[in-house]
Amino acid sequence: MVTYEVNVMGSGFSYALAIAKKDLITQMRKRFEAFSMFLFAIIAVFVLGLVLFSSTFIIADSPTRIQVMTEIGSGMLWVVVFFTGMFGFSPVFISESETGTLKGLSLAPIPGWSVYLGKVIYGFLLMGLVEIFLVPIAMGLLGFAFSPEISPLFILITFALGTLDLAAVGAMASALTMPAESKATVYPIVYFPTATTALILLVEITRMLAIGLPIIGPGILELLILLSGHVFAMVMLSAAVFQFTLTA
Amino acid sequence: MVSIHVDGLTRRYGYRVALKNVSFEIPVGGVHALFGNNGAGKTTLLRIISTLLQPHAGKVEVFGFDIEEEPIEVRKRIGVVGDKPLLYGELTGRENLKFYSDLYDLETSTANAIIEDLAERFDVKRWLDEPTKILSTGLRKRFDIIRSLLHNPELFLLDEPFSGLDKDSTEVFRNYIEDKREDRTAIVTTHNLALGSEICDDFITLRKGEIVGKGPISEFDGNI
Repeated sequence: MVTYEVNVMGSGFSYALAIAKKDLITQMRKRFEAFSMFLFAIIAVFVLGLVLFSSTFIIADSPTRIQVMTEIGSGMLWVVVFFTGMFGFSPVFISESETGTLKGLSLAPIPGWSVYLGKVIYGFLLMGLVEIFLVPIAMGLLGFAFSPEISPLFILITFALGTLDLAAVGAMASALTMPAESKATVYPIVYFPTATTALILLVEITRMLAIGLPIIGPGILELLILLSGHVFAMVMLSAAVFQFTLTA
Repeated sequence: MVSIHVDGLTRRYGYRVALKNVSFEIPVGGVHALFGNNGAGKTTLLRIISTLLQPHAGKVEVFGFDIEEEPIEVRKRIGVVGDKPLLYGELTGRENLKFYSDLYDLETSTANAIIEDLAERFDVKRWLDEPTKILSTGLRKRFDIIRSLLHNPELFLLDEPFSGLDKDSTEVFRNYIEDKREDRTAIVTTHNLALGSEICDDFITLRKGEIVGKGPISEFDGNI
C-alpha cells in the first residue's frame, strides 16, 4: 500500500492544457467529428465556388471578375469557417454534459475558468487543424489569393485571432446550451449574435488582405486591434462567468 | 471535530422542495449511512455537499469550509462516487486516471505509484490500458472508485457505491472503507439496508426532504 500526501496547488493554465490534451486525444480516436467538420467545409466551399464561378461567367474575360472573386471569395471563406465552427464547437460541453463526465470536471479542485480555457484551446486547435487544409482548397475553389505585398505574418495573425474568437464564443455558447432541452435550437441562437461581430470584422480584414491594402494606415491594423479587443472581451467575460454554468 | 456541518438547508427544484430545513453534523471518521426511498433527497444532499448544487437556504460546511464561499477547498478534500462512472470512453483506464491526477495536480511519479497501487488493490491492472468504453459496467465502476481515491480524500461521498459491483469488488471496496474509517469519513447512500447496517456506524433517514430519523446504527429499525 502506497502512502502519500497530496498537495493540490497547480496553476489554472496547466489544468486547461490537461483538459485540451484530453479532448484532442479523444477527438483523434473518434476521428469522425473532425472529418465531418472538414467534409462539411469542403462541400460548402465547393458549392459556393460553383455559384460564384457561374454567376461571374458573363464577365469571364474581364479583370472585374478577379476583383469580384477576390472580394466575395475571401468573405465566403469566413462564412464557411463560421458555420463549420458551429459544427465543431457545439459538442465541446454538450457531449461532456450528456455523458456525465462534466461532473468529474466540476468536482475537481480547479477554477471554473480553466475548464473553459481548456475547451477554448481545444476548439482553437481543432478548428486550426481543419483550416490548414481548408484555406488552400478554398482559395482555389473560391478563386482568390492574398496579395503578395502582404506579409504572411498578418494573414496568420488574422486567422489565429479569428479562430480564437470563434472558439471562445462557441465554447461559451455550448456551455450555456447545456441545460436546454432543445440544444440544437438554442445553440445557434446563442452563437449567432455573439460570433457575428467577429465574422463581420474577419470578412473585412481578409478582403483587405486579399486586395492588398497597406497594413499601416487606416484599415487593416485598426480592424485587427478591434478584433483583438473582441477576442479579449469574449475570453475574459466568458471565463469570469463560466463557473455559474457548472453549478445549478 | 466535525467533517460536515449542515444548518437549515433547503433546496427546491422549481416548486418541488427536495430538501426542507435539514440540519445535522457528522464527526470526523467512521462510516455514516444516508437512508431514504427514491426521491427522499439523498442525492440532492450529496450533490450540495460536493459543491455541484447550490443551496437555496441554509449553510453547509465541509471541514470548516463553506461550500459556497470556498468550493475549491471543499473539492480538494472530497472523493465522490455516483451511479454513473465519470470516465471518458475513448481513453484507457490509465489515461483517465492520469487525466484526473493532473487535475488534482499530482506529480507524475506519485500519480503513477498511486494508480498502480489502487489498480492492484481493485484488481484492474489487466485492464489499465484498455479503452474504458469496452469494459463491463463493474470494471468501469471499479475505475471510477479509483478515480475518486486518487487524491486520498478526507471525505468519501458515496451514492449507491455498490450498485453494479460484483461480490468481490464490493468486498474490496468495503475493506478499503473499513481500513480508512479511523481517520477518513464516509457517507454512503444505499438501498441495500442490510449492507448499510453492516458497515455504517450511524444513520440519517430522509423522507420527502426532511430528516425523520438519526442515531447509532444499532437503533436503526429498517423503516425508511
